Amino acid sequence: MPQFFLNKRLIILLVSIIVLVALIGFSLRDRSKLTWPEQFVRDTTGWFQSLVSRPANYLAGFFENLQDLQNTYEENKELKSRVEKFASLEAEIQELKKDNKELRDVLDAKQTLRDFEPLPATVIGRNPDRWHEIMIINKGKTDGIEKNMAVVTATGLVGKVKSVNQFSSTVQLLSAMDPKNRISAVIQGEKDVYGFVQGFDAKKKLLMVKAIPSSEKIEKGQTVITSGMGGVFPKGLIIGKVEEVKPDQYGLNQTALIKPGADFYDIENVIVIKRLMTQPDRNAMKAGKEEDL
Amino acid sequence: MKKFLLPLLFLLLFILESLFVQFLPSDLFGSRILVPRFLFSALLLLTIYVGKKQGIIYGAIFGLLVDVVYIEVIGIYFFLFPFVCYLISKVMQVMQSNIVVVFLATLFGIALLEVGVYEMNFLIHVTDLDFMTFINLRFYPTLILNAIFILVALYPLKRQFEKYAVALRDE
Repeated sequence: MPQFFLNKRLIILLVSIIVLVALIGFSLRDRSKLTWPEQFVRDTTGWFQSLVSRPANYLAGFFENLQDLQNTYEENKELKSRVEKFASLEAEIQELKKDNKELRDVLDAKQTLRDFEPLPATVIGRNPDRWHEIMIINKGKTDGIEKNMAVVTATGLVGKVKSVNQFSSTVQLLSAMDPKNRISAVIQGEKDVYGFVQGFDAKKKLLMVKAIPSSEKIEKGQTVITSGMGGVFPKGLIIGKVEEVKPDQYGLNQTALIKPGADFYDIENVIVIKRLMTQPDRNAMKAGKEEDL
Repeated sequence: MKKFLLPLLFLLLFILESLFVQFLPSDLFGSRILVPRFLFSALLLLTIYVGKKQGIIYGAIFGLLVDVVYIEVIGIYFFLFPFVCYLISKVMQVMQSNIVVVFLATLFGIALLEVGVYEMNFLIHVTDLDFMTFINLRFYPTLILNAIFILVALYPLKRQFEKYAVALRDE
């Protein structure tokens, strides 16, 4: 195509590449807020999306129900066997909760890192090219959602709020590769081990917890929860279970591969977590340490 | 009424893509990722059947929309949609537009877009996938999915666009 390199076209191409680089640079900056045209466009499309996604959700729900009906018998059998265990467990939990509350009252620690306020939301859209793992939910600033709040499903943590519009907001999933996406986590065991959730293995579909000291022993099957030390997420949100442990590049730390508790692909309803304790104050830190022992 | 039909069709495809990803069972294809490019297939067909100008304008508008709404990095699709539309229109100038050639050209356009998006995301460190893994994990499955979509949608879209082209010429 020789005419492709004609002067005028070449200039247009160059100018558009410059504009492209400028725009990408502008939007990659760490922005605390989106510009108002962006918010407007997103809210408008968000309205359209919720218009379409509601009937779609009903339809999908209907088919899911049909599928559920098929294995009802098997499931029922298994659930019945579990119910008995449940009753005794619940009684125990009640007692422990009461105990905990009394002890806290004695200590005069009113709020803990665990306290949060749940805000339910529905997923109305999802990024079709799954490079930037983002989904759109139908609650926004008017519903009290703020940037960086944790987002969970019934089975575990899925991500955090990336940006907020008036009536909708976007959630960045844990599976997104973003160096800024770091979550302080605890691997529960006889001794709690701290690390950072950082990165996602796309091939194995496992999350990576990095910066674990190599002296710590971690086994397969241990539960990983958020630690609440990052200052944004509350404590105790389930992230997943340890699947594999390997030493990192230089052998100074270990990396644990974690099977996420939540399925990142089949998400319909989520809960946005509003942490009640905003700043990690001294009392909370002390409480955390005592739990270590 | 007729004027709104085309933007409405594209808007529908735009939302359909996100719905498709949302409701597709993920473990159906292992860790392979199928990216629906329904909107872009329709844009390419618009370029081929109606004209370069319409294709580029619609490509820029909907590229910007995809950027703002779905990925929050403005520029990637805003640039690539019109650019690939332009290239395909150049390619179609030398080819005759029978239905098989159109099918292959659209698929080629999607392949170009996929590689372009991958390269850009690699540059801005959104992904660290190496090229061969990208080809196996994303490229082939995506092409197959979109080939199926084009096969289904090619004929109805062709009729719609040809009608639109005639209406444009009459004006």
